[in-house]
Amino acid sequence: MPPKNRQSERRPTRPVTITAVVDPVAALASENLDDNLYLYDTNRAAGSTGFGTPALHSRVRKGDTLLWNVIPLECETYVALTDIEIDPRIAEPTRKVYPGTDIAFWTAEVKQDLTEPVPYRLSFLLGTVSTPFTPTARPALAGPAAEGKEGR
Amino acid sequence: MAQQHGIIVLFDVENALRTRSLDGNTYWFDNMKFLGSAGVGTENLVTIVPGTYFLDGSQATEQVLNWLPAALGSIPPTVPRNYLAEQERADDRRTLEELAALSGESGVSTTDLKRLQRRIGKHARKPGGGRGLTEAKLLDVTGKTTSSAGAYNYPAPVITDITGPAVTEKIIYPAQYGSPDMIYDGWYWAATVDTSRPGVYPYTVHVQLHELVERNDELIWESVDLACESSLKIISDPKRNGFTGAGLGVLPLPPVPAAG
Repeated sequence: MPPKNRQSERRPTRPVTITAVVDPVAALASENLDDNLYLYDTNRAAGSTGFGTPALHSRVRKGDTLLWNVIPLECETYVALTDIEIDPRIAEPTRKVYPGTDIAFWTAEVKQDLTEPVPYRLSFLLGTVSTPFTPTARPALAGPAAEGKEGR
Repeated sequence: MAQQHGIIVLFDVENALRTRSLDGNTYWFDNMKFLGSAGVGTENLVTIVPGTYFLDGSQATEQVLNWLPAALGSIPPTVPRNYLAEQERADDRRTLEELAALSGESGVSTTDLKRLQRRIGKHARKPGGGRGLTEAKLLDVTGKTTSSAGAYNYPAPVITDITGPAVTEKIIYPAQYGSPDMIYDGWYWAATVDTSRPGVYPYTVHVQLHELVERNDELIWESVDLACESSLKIISDPKRNGFTGAGLGVLPLPPVPAAG
């Protein structure tokens, strides 16, 4: 159903939020982020898959606003999303902060509808280690038709 | 006292409100996977409670658990909870300043007025006489004013009770406590665990979610009460030193700092 047009003004809606839950202490102790990174998004009803893994496939459409943020499992250990590498023809994520804080989130607009999943790479800074941690498994953006109708 | 364990519950609020159920809409975490917690990051978390005995077999201290709820797709809990109130106030101040600056000689343009009207945003109230959130301006998931019911930031779920076999069998003694920690709004649920009876004990967490509804031209926070389940696994392994893996003793630190 198309959204109602009120005074010819587009009504703002929530972005598709992709949340990275990170266990920084376990990742630092094991030097393995893959086992300690849990990705989720708010688009499960649209068919996103891979919840709770580092290989989340988020179902998105052209024009969707995406927002990446982080929830650390240990609030006393520093965790930040430092980079998102993705084909710039698909999306160009930019870093922003919640106004008045130094807590960052990343946001981007999906530039085109996707016919097959587009993997991307997330990098995190953990604790006081200056080299970013990047999981081996890749999350991806996927179009509505990319993976059939499975995975609900 | 043993270290306190945090159990974080991430709620897919949007799906939960749509289906009026928490089935499949919660993700549970504790940071005790290395000690044997199972199902971390899923809705089937079994929280391990180890270290209940000393190596000589005598009873060690009780374990303390804390429950921390968060809403998926909202401003994350690392942003202080008073952030929304601060943003609301800062935004109102800016609007007032700009309104004062508008009264120039050339009159006031309707475009400027409309822009400021949008900035004023909308306030959502709590239902008359009901429990729920206090009146507040609607902000979106980045903390900006919004008047759209499709864009507001979901308030964090509120735990209202913890019940179930773990409580009736007197394994945990849950209660809500006040705290000066602003991250969780000064309130949190915690429990001490009777660690003398190993076993798996399920429990139910009752939560209140908040849905924004329009009634009589007003936006109102309607509370929606739901429940979800998890369990604790109490084992009789002896307490051990996290650094050495052996029994409790001195930490493996050299008596003298290394030279250089």
